[in-house]
Amino acid sequence: MAADISLAGPLAELPEEIKAAVVKRATRSRYSAGQVLYLQGEPPEQLFILVSGWVKAIRISPEGREQAMLFLKAGEIFGDVAVFTGIPYPGTVIALEEVQCLVIERSAVMDLITGHPELAHAFIRKLSERIIYFVELVEDLALRDVQARIALTLLKHAERSDDRLVVPRRSWTTYDEMATRLGTVRDVLSRALRGLENEGLLQVKRNEIVILDEQGLARRGNT
Amino acid sequence: MTAIDSKGRDQSNDDSLRVADIQALDLALHTSAGLRVGVQDGIVHLAGRLQSLELWESAEVVAAYVPGVRGVVNRIEAPGAPGAGRTVHLDLNSESKGGLL
Repeated sequence: MAADISLAGPLAELPEEIKAAVVKRATRSRYSAGQVLYLQGEPPEQLFILVSGWVKAIRISPEGREQAMLFLKAGEIFGDVAVFTGIPYPGTVIALEEVQCLVIERSAVMDLITGHPELAHAFIRKLSERIIYFVELVEDLALRDVQARIALTLLKHAERSDDRLVVPRRSWTTYDEMATRLGTVRDVLSRALRGLENEGLLQVKRNEIVILDEQGLARRGNT
Repeated sequence: MTAIDSKGRDQSNDDSLRVADIQALDLALHTSAGLRVGVQDGIVHLAGRLQSLELWESAEVVAAYVPGVRGVVNRIEAPGAPGAGRTVHLDLNSESKGGLL
């Protein structure tokens, strides 16, 4: 039954009987940090719904360079593009911490959306959100330098806490991780962060990045 | 029917490489059942679990040796092996090494 599974995102808004049908056709799987959920180039056999924890979706380009495509949290659906198109998974998904997933076989996914059009709507909404995300990513990579990309990414993920604007650093966030996410390499990222720090726009601490000048950082992001 | 991806690339070559790599790993290491293999753009992606660092290294060598393979992303878990989630930038082969099969 669905009772002990809490679905977030668009699936959370579905009627209970549809959520129960999804859970009934799914296998519950747990993955520890660093474990691969699926590989780039594997046949698209399963769709995943993330119930808890964080995963990253990465892609090795034809030139051999890794690019982080998405960091996904509870409620996200992934593997859907490959399952719906029938082409191999376009990227690799790896657990960043202990995660729990609902895993649904491709044939079961097709049965479920045929029987429950509301579920198809939820998938379409997720896919549409992802298209918007990638449109923005393309714009960032094409039009902005690394410092501008860092500035906008930090502002997007900043949280206000005790009158301070901070970007908390998760345990799995490394410089390599941040660099691949921004489409650059570690050394360039370090230099860019130092540059922003020297301009007095932010302060890099061990467990967080403090934004000292929100408007200045926004201007830097849009130059 | 030949499968063409969204970029107009013919997937059949990657599909053939994947089959060849699974066979080569099974032949050389008898471990294919425990390993997962994906191939895209001639780059082989490996995951799963092996019992030793020697097997981990061997799997990478065997996978790379299949004609047509340009590079290997080894995300297999094994004692002493680098983490599966580390960032990977490959030094790709311009041509396959060829020869095992």
